[in-house]
Amino acid sequence: MRLLVTGATGYIGERLVRHALSQGHEIIAASRRRPNEDIEWIPFDLSAASEIILPEGIDSVFHLAATTISHDIDPDIEMEAAKHLIKAAVQANAKIIFISSQTARKDAPTVYGRTKWQIEKLVLAAAGLVVRPGQVYGGPERALFGELLRSVRRLPVIPAFLPAPKVQPVHIDDLIVALLHCAESNSIPSSILHIGATQPVSFTKFLRTISIVRVRGYRPPIPLPIALVRFAGLISGKRLRITLGIDRLSSLSDLPTMQTDHDLQLLGVTLRPLSSGMTRSGNERRRILIREGQALLQYVLKVRPTPALIRRYVRSIELIRDGESLNLPEFLLVAPMAIALLDHTPAQSTSYEEEFTWRLNTAVVLAEASVQGAKRFLGIGEYNGFVICLGRMTRAVILELCWRILRLIACPFWGILFRNSRLSK
Amino acid sequence: MSADFDAIVVGSGPAGVSAAFPLVQAGLKILLVDGGREMQVKPPSKPYLVSRAEDENQWEWMVGRDYYSLRNINTVSPKLRVPTLSYVFEGFEAANRINAHDFIAIGSLARGGLSSAWGCGIARLSPEELNDFPFSPSEILTSYETVSRRIGLSGALKDDLSEYFGIDEWADPPIPIDDLRSRILHRYEKRKADVTPLGFKLGRSRIAVLSQDRAERKACDTSGNCMWGCHRRALYTAAEDLELLKKFSNFTYRSGFVVDELDCAGALRAVRGSDMSGNQTISASKIILAAGTLATTRLALQALNLNKPISMHACPIAAFMLWLPKALGSARPPAFGLGQLSFALKLEHGVAGFGSLFNTTGIPSAEFVRHMPLSKRYGIDFLKALLSSCVVGNLFLPGKLSTSMLSLRTDGSLHVEGGFRKEVPELMHLAEQRLRKVFWKLGAVLLPMSFTVGKPGGDIHYTCSLPMRARPDYGETDAFGELFGLDDIYVVDGASLSDHSEKSHTLTIMANADRIGRKISYDYKDAKCNIV
Repeated sequence: MRLLVTGATGYIGERLVRHALSQGHEIIAASRRRPNEDIEWIPFDLSAASEIILPEGIDSVFHLAATTISHDIDPDIEMEAAKHLIKAAVQANAKIIFISSQTARKDAPTVYGRTKWQIEKLVLAAAGLVVRPGQVYGGPERALFGELLRSVRRLPVIPAFLPAPKVQPVHIDDLIVALLHCAESNSIPSSILHIGATQPVSFTKFLRTISIVRVRGYRPPIPLPIALVRFAGLISGKRLRITLGIDRLSSLSDLPTMQTDHDLQLLGVTLRPLSSGMTRSGNERRRILIREGQALLQYVLKVRPTPALIRRYVRSIELIRDGESLNLPEFLLVAPMAIALLDHTPAQSTSYEEEFTWRLNTAVVLAEASVQGAKRFLGIGEYNGFVICLGRMTRAVILELCWRILRLIACPFWGILFRNSRLSK
Repeated sequence: MSADFDAIVVGSGPAGVSAAFPLVQAGLKILLVDGGREMQVKPPSKPYLVSRAEDENQWEWMVGRDYYSLRNINTVSPKLRVPTLSYVFEGFEAANRINAHDFIAIGSLARGGLSSAWGCGIARLSPEELNDFPFSPSEILTSYETVSRRIGLSGALKDDLSEYFGIDEWADPPIPIDDLRSRILHRYEKRKADVTPLGFKLGRSRIAVLSQDRAERKACDTSGNCMWGCHRRALYTAAEDLELLKKFSNFTYRSGFVVDELDCAGALRAVRGSDMSGNQTISASKIILAAGTLATTRLALQALNLNKPISMHACPIAAFMLWLPKALGSARPPAFGLGQLSFALKLEHGVAGFGSLFNTTGIPSAEFVRHMPLSKRYGIDFLKALLSSCVVGNLFLPGKLSTSMLSLRTDGSLHVEGGFRKEVPELMHLAEQRLRKVFWKLGAVLLPMSFTVGKPGGDIHYTCSLPMRARPDYGETDAFGELFGLDDIYVVDGASLSDHSEKSHTLTIMANADRIGRKISYDYKDAKCNIV
């Protein structure tokens, strides 16, 4: 399809363009500056609204361009720009898809929210689609997400606002899938589509997830009344308000909860869990694989493997195998010693067991080929006498027997122990 | 039209370089072509145990940056998982259009061929063992000597295997023996009377490894990197000889030229092949095939347009592990990683076995852990205590026990169908029992379940597919390796051996190649004299 995207260089726009291109769509970027991708570009500036003529054969128009800083917004000019765009789209017989906001309301506390609401009306009147995303996160560190990330990184604590605002997070890539579906499908009636987590989460939890999963450091929450924030906003002046993002934060405090399940179903989108989406790669696969590698290597080495060793394990699974984790049950990840329960050669292996054996052998090979491994496997520099060696061998056999007995005892509970792993499938 | 060269040698392995020497020395204009692959991964620069204890990047040569050893985790031999040796084996089957069933087909596109990764075992065939060869034993003696002196052998010692190996007069003294193997040898000296009736003889291994410096090549210092790459170049590889050949002005070396087919239509012989610069045909008066048994056989069958299946010899092989209880707890000293002790074992019906005993230090423990009946964690504990008192051994049986067949497919590929004669399992079982008994008397336990018989082809000793015969037929060669039905095509590698005993056959291949090379150069000189 031929798609026109306004705000193509913005946080969502840039990602949308890249994804749409990878899906084989043709993109015309409409933005102030030329996009990085080598694609067709027409200049488009919200603040210099004028008549627009769309290029030939546009199927859909994504209107993403918006001024996000409240006091910079001139609602009339922005409305004017939207009008021109909608008019051009209607003339070109193109579908218009407008990216609005969860804050869009007639009586929204911010100019931004009120402007969005007004444009929504125009779009709906032109039989277009309105998408109201919840709290968009993930991907590049830009826009509100980037500001939050930077704040969490910088601050020793995270604010726990009172009363706690609720947000409905949506990963940028999930939103993009939904947006493209809007363009591709003909069966979606002109309406307002709500895209965000079905269950709102407290803003504090959202920040905590950023700190733990993304920033990888614990930040204690400090209770902070919203009223105080507003007051601080009043006295701090424009510059500081922008740096701290206080304007945007305050607009979160009275968000209406969106009913999103219907629209998500309509668009065929399943949102990824917050903890998964918050990782750098946008999904938890790697993080889980790292934990798996750490557990298997520790089982083999009996000491904590070095990060370099774990990295090698992860790379090998990604390069040679399917790159997915085995989904070992939590208790094995926490107590790698118990991996001995799985470490035996059954008479008939399932494909999961074969994969497990392959990975364990991989862990052995990788673990050995390290300075840590040389110590563990060869015992270089250790004193070894006849008695000590005999004792070690006896001990190994006894421990092996113990685990075999445990395995027998655990047999009836196998289903419970491994209910979430690929083993149970 | 005159030929580009007097002779083209296909392959730079032990056979190719051995055939090239007499030709080059006689002044013939020689071209040698090979796959030309070279080592890509740097081997350890310090002794094995030091590298293991200190080298933070040891995984690069143990596993490989591309995880080479993991990708090849299911291959038959630890050698096939060594990243530094990947260049030796990679790409051979595809480039030479070999496909195998029930057979481990291995060959090399490397400079120096399979000798770049060999066990350096050598032996001379006795007059009896040369019975099936269509020439008198004295005819190859000079060649044995020439080759032995050129490549550098060690292990010469008056012991029970002196006669068996038959090369002592040309070899240096052995490399220092390590503690474990010296215990076995001492015990053998004491209890010889108990074990020789079982058909067992033990002695130092005779190997193509230097025990004394030789120009740029340095003597073995028992640093234990044999499998990973010896930076002292103590281990012979044909690449060493190639360097010597390159000094002759009448010798041309073309690396990376894989011969695809022979052109025998006209009066001249030619090889058709390709390298980076594309397809090319190069002509010569004679072509000498030394591409390795499988590749050579394919080229020969294709040139003959012979579609009938032909037989090939490959040695049944087994590996086992010995444990010396009295040595339990001994330290791991740096040690030579290839054969230190060798044994000859007589079995039934005139069949004999040959094997060597190795130090376990240079082999990754993971290779053993994988086959332990214990879980990995406790298997490692167990082996860490046990391995320093263990010895690995192998056993080869004669190549004629193989039933492997080669046939040329209509698409020009070579199909290998592997198999052993039906008495092999029985013989192996007998060998296991005998060895268990023998080593028990020598103070070592053959560990239960450790005796493992390899799959056909796992020995990588393929021979006798185009055997030299006094009266050859199609698919055979004459007494000088010249292909029956196609003049001026000579087969000088394992393919043209007439018989393949249990002994290491590389030295015999080299001596035979030298013998054929001499014959061709005499003919050349004769022809020249006649013209004059």
